Amino acid sequence: MDEYPAGSLDHTVPFLLTLGTCTATPAPHDAVLSAALQDQAILIRSELAALDSDQAHALLRYMHDRDASRLPCNGRDEAARKYRLRIRTAERSLLLPPRHARIPDGIELPAPAPAPPAVLHSPYSPLSPVSPLYPDGLIDTQWIRKHQDLVPSVLLCFYTLVSDPTLATLWDNKIKTDVNNLRAQLGQSGYKTRLAVVLLSDQVIPSPADGVPERLEAIRRGCGLDPKLLFLVPPGDPPQELERAAENMLTTLYSVAVEYYRDLGRHSRKKRSRGIAPQPTVPPTSGTSQTLSLAGWNVRYDFKSAVFAEYRLEMDVALRSFEQAYENLLSSEVMELIPSWSPRWNEARFLADVIAVRCIRCLLWNGQHSAATRRWQLHRERIADFVDRRGRGTSNYGWEAWEARWAVVMAHLVEQADIPEFAPATLRLYLPPEKSARGERLQPWELLHHTGYWYRLAAKHLHLRRAFARAMPESDRRSPSDSPASQVAKSAFMYDTYMCPDPYEEYPLRRTGVDHGQLIVDRLTRARSEFLKRRQTRFAAEAALECARELGLAQDWKGVIELLRPIWKELPFRAEGWISIMEELNWALRTAAAEVGDAELVLLLDWELLSQNFTKRPNWHYDITKSLRGIIPKPKSKPSVSISDGQLLSFISASFLFKDAEGKAGQSVRSQLCIKSSAHPGAAPLVLSSLQVSFNRSVDSITVQHQVNGKGTQQRRGNVALSTVILARQLDDDAKPEPTALDEADSGVSLSGSADLTLIPGHSLVLNMEIPLREPGETRADSLVLNLESEEFDLRQSLVFRERSNANLWYISAAATKLVAHPHPLALRVLPRPPKMEVRCPVWKEQCYTDEPVSLEFEVENGEDIEALSKLDVRLFGETPPTFTLDIPGRASETSSSARSEESRLSSIQLGAIPSTKTLSVRLSLPPIERSSRYDLTLKVTYFLPTDPGTPISQTAVFQLNVVNPFEANYDLLPRVHPSPWPSLFDPDGVAPLPDNDDETAYSHLPPKGISQSWSLITRYASFASEPLRVTDIDIAIQPSPAAFRCTSTKRTKLPASGAGTLIHPKTIEEAAFDLVAQKPTVDDRSASPLDVSLTIKWTRPDTDPSSSSSQINTTTLPIPRFTLFGTEPRVLASVTHSPLPATRLVTLTLRITIENASNHFLTFGLAMEPSEAFAFSGPKQTTLNLLPVSRRGVEYRLLPLDDPDEAGEGEGEGEGWWIRPGLVVRDKYFQKVLRVVAAGEGVRAGKEGFEVWVPGKRGVEG
Amino acid sequence: MATTVPSIACLGVIGRNNNPLHTSVFPSYDPTTNSFRPVRTPLQFSLIISSTLDVFELRSRHNTAAGTGLTGDFGLLHAIDDRLAAYGFETNTGTRFVAIVDMRGRRLDPAAAAAMADKRLAGAAAGLREGEMRPVFKAMQVAYIRLLQNPFFEPDEHSPPAGQGGAKITSRKFGQDVRRIGENWAPGVAVL
Repeated sequence: MDEYPAGSLDHTVPFLLTLGTCTATPAPHDAVLSAALQDQAILIRSELAALDSDQAHALLRYMHDRDASRLPCNGRDEAARKYRLRIRTAERSLLLPPRHARIPDGIELPAPAPAPPAVLHSPYSPLSPVSPLYPDGLIDTQWIRKHQDLVPSVLLCFYTLVSDPTLATLWDNKIKTDVNNLRAQLGQSGYKTRLAVVLLSDQVIPSPADGVPERLEAIRRGCGLDPKLLFLVPPGDPPQELERAAENMLTTLYSVAVEYYRDLGRHSRKKRSRGIAPQPTVPPTSGTSQTLSLAGWNVRYDFKSAVFAEYRLEMDVALRSFEQAYENLLSSEVMELIPSWSPRWNEARFLADVIAVRCIRCLLWNGQHSAATRRWQLHRERIADFVDRRGRGTSNYGWEAWEARWAVVMAHLVEQADIPEFAPATLRLYLPPEKSARGERLQPWELLHHTGYWYRLAAKHLHLRRAFARAMPESDRRSPSDSPASQVAKSAFMYDTYMCPDPYEEYPLRRTGVDHGQLIVDRLTRARSEFLKRRQTRFAAEAALECARELGLAQDWKGVIELLRPIWKELPFRAEGWISIMEELNWALRTAAAEVGDAELVLLLDWELLSQNFTKRPNWHYDITKSLRGIIPKPKSKPSVSISDGQLLSFISASFLFKDAEGKAGQSVRSQLCIKSSAHPGAAPLVLSSLQVSFNRSVDSITVQHQVNGKGTQQRRGNVALSTVILARQLDDDAKPEPTALDEADSGVSLSGSADLTLIPGHSLVLNMEIPLREPGETRADSLVLNLESEEFDLRQSLVFRERSNANLWYISAAATKLVAHPHPLALRVLPRPPKMEVRCPVWKEQCYTDEPVSLEFEVENGEDIEALSKLDVRLFGETPPTFTLDIPGRASETSSSARSEESRLSSIQLGAIPSTKTLSVRLSLPPIERSSRYDLTLKVTYFLPTDPGTPISQTAVFQLNVVNPFEANYDLLPRVHPSPWPSLFDPDGVAPLPDNDDETAYSHLPPKGISQSWSLITRYASFASEPLRVTDIDIAIQPSPAAFRCTSTKRTKLPASGAGTLIHPKTIEEAAFDLVAQKPTVDDRSASPLDVSLTIKWTRPDTDPSSSSSQINTTTLPIPRFTLFGTEPRVLASVTHSPLPATRLVTLTLRITIENASNHFLTFGLAMEPSEAFAFSGPKQTTLNLLPVSRRGVEYRLLPLDDPDEAGEGEGEGEGWWIRPGLVVRDKYFQKVLRVVAAGEGVRAGKEGFEVWVPGKRGVEG
Repeated sequence: MATTVPSIACLGVIGRNNNPLHTSVFPSYDPTTNSFRPVRTPLQFSLIISSTLDVFELRSRHNTAAGTGLTGDFGLLHAIDDRLAAYGFETNTGTRFVAIVDMRGRRLDPAAAAAMADKRLAGAAAGLREGEMRPVFKAMQVAYIRLLQNPFFEPDEHSPPAGQGGAKITSRKFGQDVRRIGENWAPGVAVL
């Protein structure tokens, strides 16, 4: 609005002028008449001295505080506000503009005689030749200013009401005179300004006794004043008194002022209704000599009445009149008729602008925001249309200048209206349409937006204005004095210069013209502050970006950095992924930073711009090492930049993997660091000087230095370079003065290594590292710091590792990857240090044997570096475990207790301190175990290291104890023929005396006299041990059965008599025979009796010396299944004796068949010997044997084997002999039952079809 | 003034993390050259779309305070200038659709203009009613839902639940859908 003439657009407020006080007030009346009117001005002057009392000042101050000229233009608290006055102070006099203009000199009136005298008009009217509007102008700012600044509606005169009775009358009279004087002057001037008088009482409490009312009345009457225009103001003590009086006074005065403006409005309406165009004082002689048309006059009158209505705050009336004026102005009768070259054209445009602004203000006053915006838009379109049709078109800088101005005007109007809904705190961006406009189709823009938008719009049009200006040909830009007249004439018709400079001023050839950039920046800065107030940070950033572009054009690089740096740093464009915006920002800042010489910023920007996310700029070096080239001034100190993670869009991404989810303290874990560069392809390879990986706990940080021929061999394939870094422990505080940035981050121990750290764009650098673990706990790979050090700068980029579910790739080689399975590859659980104590059994027997005392020796070896305080727990677990004893050297032995049936244990046996690398032996002894069984033996050593007494470390060893039977045996009980004869029933010796009682043990002490039987027990035993065992003795134990019979045994074994025993190898069968003789105590008892025998084997382990100690001999007892002896059934026993025939090689065999009848019956047996080809025999071929009860008889055959199967070639070879089968059948005659012939003796055996007899061969005979 | 009607100049999808997911730019009628071309550069559209985030934030703060805005339709976000205006919609999952409308984006050919005048629809040239953008958002939501139904589309990749940024939507089908919506919309079109 500043470009419009002062006062032309201001809101009009009733004008009150005070007279008669000193002017040392904030608002002196300083309006100055135009020079043309100065000498005709009407002077209104008060003769009395101006007041300078405190009271007067207080009153004036109070009034000025309520001056309404700067109040917001809205009708909100109209009800509360009782008055609205523009108050100015004049000291003693004021100048009023002349009511009538003089006829200027030199103008000759037309023939005076017949014509009526010249009618004189106001100097502001187009009728007066002195007016700039003469003869055909419409109306101008002068007129508005006349009413706003020059001609008050009320003239308020200050006087003192003197309380001194001696002076009272004199002063009262002076006042009367002065007021009358003023009134007369005003009356002469022709203005209808109201005159009001305020009397300042100097008396504290005016009492009726002083006759004050009378005095007032006298003054009023003497001055001819309206009673309500005379005010008495009490002294300002207390101040409330004064304020109340002032408030009343101003309210009254306001109504008077409104009345004044109503009169004026009525006057102009009356003039309009006359319907004729008044004639000017002097007919125009110059120019077109055209006078203002009636339609023009109507515009003028409408405008006037609208302004007067505005004074009265009748905004609806004002709006109507303004609209009427506007329509008329743009109608075909007014503006259409004005030629565009005429100055009146621009005046008319100006008037249209003023009217439109005032219309919009009226609408805003009434809260019709959308209507106001539409009005704004409408005016723009009307004027555009008009300019296009009648003027110079809208495609030039002038039009855009106006557009920009028009947008700014709207912003100002909105600001002035001070709409409460737009307060920044409401965060509203636009207002909803008022009720009347709701439901209509509205342009979005027609919802009134806050001023930021308007300023931005203005900036946009200023851009266009500049573009148009720049597009002007040089010929137009030349100053008119330099260019040919034709050119000047031509350009005058081409360019719209309404309220903007001529082309040669807008964009002159050789000097700077209008600073468009500055204009744009101004608008944008204002817009930006508005956006920021309403938290439109991103929108503000957009404005800032535009602004920076302008500043860049103006080469205000510092400004650019100031503007963009906060945005670049703080706004979330980067994090949110608005890459294109970041790119714009980066390049803008890069240019500015390079110009300013801010090396660190340049480095930051170049680093970020390396990222492939941004579009590649051709011809850019993309080499961070070159970024500081050409930066002037050279930075004084070496720039050092530290970039935190996420601060920039890093083109380097890093991931870290632990191969395993767990590791153990004291061991090392494999890990892989992968650094990927996504820099622009073609960018220079980046050589990192070092990198540092840090972990949050328990793992040392790792530093890897760049080394071209690193110790690790690099494997390169495709986009991947894989190298293995050998890490060495390095104490930072040892003599290695390296003042790099690495040291400060880490105190204490770190691991370091070296590798080739050249990072090629698009490639990945994979580093394999074995990280030694020291302390147990959870650890996590935290961050990576990349260091880039060069002669010109230091750069340090931190990256934080993030877990990604899909990218946990482990590079097996440069070409092959595999997915690491554990879900958190960044985390590592370091388990406690594994025990280094070892429990072992140096002589472990795979098998233990039953009936053997087991003694096991264990060694506990301390593999730790220091001595360890140890305890031992032993558990034996199995079915009915035996109690065991533990012997520790130098301590008492401990015996186990069994807490449960299947467990026997010994807990917390102190082993004492075991020195490092030393061994402690303990012996575990178990008693002989009878049954073969299986036990789990658990030895658990728990120990503490003196360095860490709080952490118990335990080592457990489990052994499996197998107890097996070393021997198994089978048995044969073979009958033999007892040589002694059976006792006879009839032999009295054989008859036992009758027992005295029924005591069965009675026989035991008697010599047995019953039947005897002879048996041979053959045992075959085998060792089932896993190793050879030495058997020292073998025997049988006959369980006594005293009642039944008496039994004796004779042993026949091959064991040496010395007792040294025989070594029995596993799985070999050994035989031992025992002859048994059993005899019943009496003949009467012949019943079957059981025989319980067990085999006892005495053995030792072969490695022990059998003679050394007898305790080493173990005895294994094998129970022999029960045999049955005796019985009453008859049995046939066959035995044979061989008797070689001398002189022949033949053998005769004597086969003796013994038939025993132990029954009580008389039995008859038939014997039949079948002839055989195998032998010849002598003896009864067929005979019958009668056996008495309890008797036995024998039959003898002599056999001569006939052929030697050796000779026939079919024998078993070697001539030892062969078996023949005599076909002897023994038949019980009575029962007709064939009895089995039982082999009873050597050389007879039971065959399939009867018994067989051994025939010794040649050798057998010879032997 | 040539008769012009509004058209869509740009459609944008913004993810939950304020990250751009998709942007489609549509050409507008340019009366000076009598041709169609985008009114702004992609960068400018990017700025415009990102600046709507401010409004989304303001508005959702206001909505939570007032307990309104449950439909997700934010209506007019703001007018960018006297030609472009941004409208917005937010889904329940925080994905936001932005439509930048060019109020003078299409030329009305005279015959159609006459026909519209008959039907008293000439007002269509003057502006937009509230709710006339709703079909656009409805259609965009349908397209977006169709995209989400694609088993190969991983929403977390595009708007990580905890984190920043996200990848852009690359689905060709979604792009085609958005293109169709943007090209077919005109004031008064109810179904897209």
